[in-house]
Amino acid sequence: MTNDQTGPLISEKGPVMKLETLARQLGLTVHAGRDALDREVTSGYAADLLSCAMAKARAGSVWVTLQGHSNIVAVASLTEAAGIIITEGVQPDDATINKAQEEGVPILTTELTTFTVVGRLYELGVPGVESLDE
Amino acid sequence: MGIQNNSAIPASQITRLHELVYELEISQVMTREVITVTPQTSMTEVREILQRHRISGIPVLEHGELVGIISIEDLIKALAGGEMDARVGEKMTPNPIVLSANEPLVLSVDYFNRYGFGRFPIVNEQGKMVGILTPSDVTQGLLKKLEVEYHEEEIRRYRASHIFEDVISDHTSIFLHYIIASRDFKQAGAASRNIKRTLTHLGIPRPIIRRAAIATYEAEINIIIHTDDFGGLITAEIRPDAIIIGALDLGPGIADVEQAKRRGFSTAPDWIREMGFGAGMGLTNIEKCADEMYLESPFGSRTTLRVTIYMDEHLPIGRREA
Amino acid sequence: MKFREIIAIVKGELITKIAKLDMDVTHISAADLMSDVLAFAEPESILLTGLCNPQVVCTAEMADIVAIIFVRDKKPPPETISLAEEERIPLVSTPYSMFEACGCLYQAGLRDIHIPDE
Repeated sequence: MTNDQTGPLISEKGPVMKLETLARQLGLTVHAGRDALDREVTSGYAADLLSCAMAKARAGSVWVTLQGHSNIVAVASLTEAAGIIITEGVQPDDATINKAQEEGVPILTTELTTFTVVGRLYELGVPGVESLDE
Repeated sequence: MGIQNNSAIPASQITRLHELVYELEISQVMTREVITVTPQTSMTEVREILQRHRISGIPVLEHGELVGIISIEDLIKALAGGEMDARVGEKMTPNPIVLSANEPLVLSVDYFNRYGFGRFPIVNEQGKMVGILTPSDVTQGLLKKLEVEYHEEEIRRYRASHIFEDVISDHTSIFLHYIIASRDFKQAGAASRNIKRTLTHLGIPRPIIRRAAIATYEAEINIIIHTDDFGGLITAEIRPDAIIIGALDLGPGIADVEQAKRRGFSTAPDWIREMGFGAGMGLTNIEKCADEMYLESPFGSRTTLRVTIYMDEHLPIGRREA
Repeated sequence: MKFREIIAIVKGELITKIAKLDMDVTHISAADLMSDVLAFAEPESILLTGLCNPQVVCTAEMADIVAIIFVRDKKPPPETISLAEEERIPLVSTPYSMFEACGCLYQAGLRDIHIPDE
């Protein structure tokens, strides 16, 4: 699959979903960026290290992490990620939520672990960012 | 040998034998002094050599190079055919399958199963024969290694678990003491690993050891990350009824203890975060592992952390199941 | 599921002399934050991580993790490998990202059973 498609993206595993749909399917709680939930998720990325996420996350990625501090917003914003899913019941602090509201970055949380969230996303057809390079 | 069976084995029950076939190299169990013949040796001589040494096959060398192998099966065929005057060169199996000396033993187990041969010549990186391997070499090598390890472990366990019985006092405890250098990430975890090992040798139940190990490790990491030049101390007092982990450092202390205990709060710099620490879970984790936790840290002064983990029942340690 | 099957699923490569290929594994933990592993990983589970420093092995040892899989083809430094061999913890390197490795293993039926209590 290449990156230069213009129409609705179709991954090898099926149609790409809106963040809103993923949030509903996985029972995620929305904390910020409600207005941007109609973004399409084209790939997924999982990492807790900001430098890794910075290097690898793509425009349209949903980023799965258990980091809750405000730097995650900056990373998501710079990489134009579709949104951030914070796992394991970690609650983003006020600074993170305020910053996310300002930047329009959706922040969603779940009690599930990173492993399970990614497993479910994968089942729903969200590909890893690498598969976009192939 | 029971190594290739397919039944499920939980990690805790993987036997040392399973591990050893992967860990040992062929060179560690092979027979190094190899009896050899040349292609010019007669089959009559081969019979004498096989009988004299009670072996079932002989590598054939020509000018020091391995060219074949002659086995008891070849001898029987020659006997049946009345060809005992024939030379080895005519009766041997040429270009035998060999194994490398530095391969893991498990590969030889696979080869014995796959080819059904009774022996494999062993070669070094230059292809020169350095030994020979039979199934009995494999079995004996494994048994010898297991025996040595078992003996060592037995002595260690005996010594450790009898400490509390042999010492007569009103109150006996073992006190372990480790100096932790500030910012020394290379050594990070050494104290915790040694404490865990000691607790294991003392036969303390695994869930208790795990809690003590995790609490110690977080405390050790905290000293490495947060202290000034002097670093700190990690101690472990092992009593028959409890383990008490101590962490002491000379500063700078914690500005707001309640804040520091909150999950997600951290003052760690970015480079620590990139190493996978400093995410503000350390004290939360320690508290979770502790039956009792005492933390005193006036800002600008020393920090004292004490974690108590009680043994399940009040059994003397020496009588616990290992 | 056998450790050897898990290695096959993630197209992994064993990088230690310690193998334990026949052990049975039912749980996976995925994290780059070592405190998270210490807090939540199941004893006897496998750790999927993007970190390669020796502290990962030390963390695994403390938390009774039985094997470590490094994602994105990361090859740990020699000190990580030697510590793992000393502690008898097999190390595996997979070309997959954390996301893809989790996805494949989840689809193969592996789970993590941690249910957060907050």
